[in-house]
Amino acid sequence: MPDVKTPSGPENMDSDPNSDGLKHRAHANSTDADEASKDSENAGATGGTATDSAEKDGAGSQESLFECNICLDTARDAVVSRCGHLFCWPCLYQWLETRPNRQTCPVCKAGISKESVTPLYGRGSTKQQDPRDKIPQRPPGERPEPETQGPFQGFGFGDGGFQMSFGIGAFPFGFFASTFNLGEGGRFMGHPHRPQVPPNPDEQFLSKVFLWVAVLFVIWLLIA
Amino acid sequence: MATIAASRIKRELKEVKADAELIKDDVSVELMDNSYLALTGEIPGPKDTPYEGGTFHLKIIIPETYPFNPPQVSFTTKIWHPNISSVTGAICLDILKDQWAAAMTLRTVLLSVQALLSLPEPDDPQDAVVAQQYKENQDAYRRTARHWACAYAGAKSSSRELDEKVERITEMGFNESDARDALSSTDWDVGRAVEKLMS
Ligand SMILES: [Zn+2]
Ligand SMILES: [Zn+2]
Repeated sequence: MPDVKTPSGPENMDSDPNSDGLKHRAHANSTDADEASKDSENAGATGGTATDSAEKDGAGSQESLFECNICLDTARDAVVSRCGHLFCWPCLYQWLETRPNRQTCPVCKAGISKESVTPLYGRGSTKQQDPRDKIPQRPPGERPEPETQGPFQGFGFGDGGFQMSFGIGAFPFGFFASTFNLGEGGRFMGHPHRPQVPPNPDEQFLSKVFLWVAVLFVIWLLIA
Repeated sequence: MATIAASRIKRELKEVKADAELIKDDVSVELMDNSYLALTGEIPGPKDTPYEGGTFHLKIIIPETYPFNPPQVSFTTKIWHPNISSVTGAICLDILKDQWAAAMTLRTVLLSVQALLSLPEPDDPQDAVVAQQYKENQDAYRRTARHWACAYAGAKSSSRELDEKVERITEMGFNESDARDALSSTDWDVGRAVEKLMS
């Protein structure tokens, strides 16, 4: 019966908050095993995950499936992270505000940001909007790298993942922007909440060199 | 935000009391008053550790910003452990500091503290004296931790030899817990312990 476990929601992922604690792996694993055996017992019932998380809660209802992972109440203004964890938007917002330098999922510690969560619109929600208009596809569970917001982020050294590639990609544009005064005072493009970085002397020098190379190139083109 | 804190604790208490694993382990939590912001916890010393057989009490203070900030947890039972202050009971544990996450619960905290008793982290110490002893003289650490578990946490089968050393110093007129502290931090060398008490 291993197929019972396949409709894997976040419950089945390695999502225990203990996962990088001390030796809780043992605890976490035994719980998983218990749940798996409950799943097999409930093979006839609909949705193995629903049944076992309800049992874990002791409430015997399906409510707990839609509980916010922060306030543990039924999620209101629900949003789901890319790693598949459900929260009330106000709860998640407050968590991200509490830890501006370390934006991680409160459940599995995957990277998370205000921009990367998906809102869930139920039928009775105030905005009577077909969720499919906004959400082409239910986002699959992912484990992006934590997105740090330290003072030196965005330069692409050791940040890893998303942030890094963005930083490097945007770099030449930064030169262009400062060289031709098109941008916003040399601020890098691309990331919404990157702190404004004043251009340093090296950068200005490089910009000048870049400008001269561009000018020479244009002249050469005209002559040739 | 105090409302989230209180309602979450209410829920978590129910959950902890119904948790088969915690019940089996004799891990428990109680409210200290009706505010839901102060609790006491109880964890048994884990098997195959010097703490086995002892019962350790915790004080758990819930900040108004819970669960966005971690609870403040400390031992009220005196304990000899590299990551727990032998003086104040303060605990050095990452999930109670920067590794806290809002989805963690009292259950996580209790199990993590219990796990810490089984697996000390001498490189991230709270009590430098204990940590040094743990690294340099494992045997002295084990005997001392065992002695403390018997003296303060109700564990049985204390070492007669260590008890006698404490007695010898108390007979000189020193108070028992001071004598124990001095002996513990001098690897049970009576001469050095007395010297320490005199200074
Ligand atoms: Zn919530
Ligand atoms: Zn997550």
